[in-house]
Amino acid sequence: MSGDKNNIVMISASPKAGTESASAFLADLQARFFRDMGFSTLRLDVRKSLIRGNVENDYALMLEADAIIITFPLYIYCLPGMLMRFLQDYLDFCRVKGRNNSGTRIYAVVNCGFPEAWINNEAVGVISSFSRSIGAMFRFGLLIGGGGMLVGTCDAPFMRKTMGRISGAFIKMGEDIKIKGSEKIDNILVEASIPHRLYHFMGNKGWVISAKSNNLKKKDLYRKPYQPETSGESG
Amino acid sequence: MKALIISDLDFKTDLFKQLNSLLTGYLLEKGSSIERIEIGRNDLAFCRGCFGCWVQKPGECVVDDKMTEINRSYMSADVVFFLSPVVFGQFSANMKNARDRWLPNMLPFFKVRPDGSTIHPPRYDDYPTLLIIGYADEITEEDLKLFIDITKKHLREIEAFIFRDENGKADLINALDKIKLMKVRGII
Repeated sequence: MSGDKNNIVMISASPKAGTESASAFLADLQARFFRDMGFSTLRLDVRKSLIRGNVENDYALMLEADAIIITFPLYIYCLPGMLMRFLQDYLDFCRVKGRNNSGTRIYAVVNCGFPEAWINNEAVGVISSFSRSIGAMFRFGLLIGGGGMLVGTCDAPFMRKTMGRISGAFIKMGEDIKIKGSEKIDNILVEASIPHRLYHFMGNKGWVISAKSNNLKKKDLYRKPYQPETSGESG
Repeated sequence: MKALIISDLDFKTDLFKQLNSLLTGYLLEKGSSIERIEIGRNDLAFCRGCFGCWVQKPGECVVDDKMTEINRSYMSADVVFFLSPVVFGQFSANMKNARDRWLPNMLPFFKVRPDGSTIHPPRYDDYPTLLIIGYADEITEEDLKLFIDITKKHLREIEAFIFRDENGKADLINALDKIKLMKVRGII
């Protein structure tokens, strides 16, 4: 452990390639806040780590961290398989090395494509369970609804309140790391500041526009390539 | 009846073998055919969140690997058993890859469910009954609840169980006896 240096490892775990992901955007934002607060910060990208075969070096850095912040998108109501691979192998790494993360504080930042922030709740529970498995102390999570629109709208006036709450959550994480807090802190839920109906309308329109940009018609989105010839009760 | 059993090649523990044997016996007694697919560490690419399965090649993943076969077998089955080790209260990495890449079988659009929350609607009229069974030799009550919440809380059509030891065999068989193992309407 690095003692008073307060070494924060920020893990960005979006499986997206080639485009700016909400998770990378959020990790960038964290880095700015934490550097301003005087922390030593380090960024890890799970996708790049796995592709480059750099995993063991990154695991060694995680073992030395005072705090680890894991930022990821929600996939089918939980962690993406890519992040599960990374964390599952990290547990094995710790066992092989005979080390644990006693004293390390862990935080989760989860964003989902649905507007409801609470849908991320179980994913934060998984990070809490992972923390127990490696002997670390899970602190709290930031649950973000409508995460998909953060990158494109973060500077829009209507998102000012949402971005303010996200920033406030990062400052709270920083303060908790600094004071080595141990009191229970509730998860923080933040949603994009637009009505859910409007979010749905815009999202649905977006899928049709994307399809058209791929030379597909709206009706093509409803294709059923695996439709069995017959269906219904059998056996 | 056509049954599909999907499992994790890297977690073929004694407990898994007990569970697999129990299910096999049960299904054969019901006169069902059984297809098995085991997922290993290098069998499936990670879902990369490109949404190509929705807006480029609707209904099919743009990555052509073992998942193409899994999705085809899945949709042609009457009942699917998804046997997953419980890791940190959720699916193992191999099994979660398969869950993530099941996404083509849903439509991209947003719909509102009866409880007011958002969901992607079904692509097909009918789906196989999906039974997710988590297995773990040692599992905390917290992780047990988490696994059930992850599988059942958000998706109404799924049945989920935890198999911890051989004492659970009778309970599992009793639970299976109460479920109609056949195709069901896709719901939101």
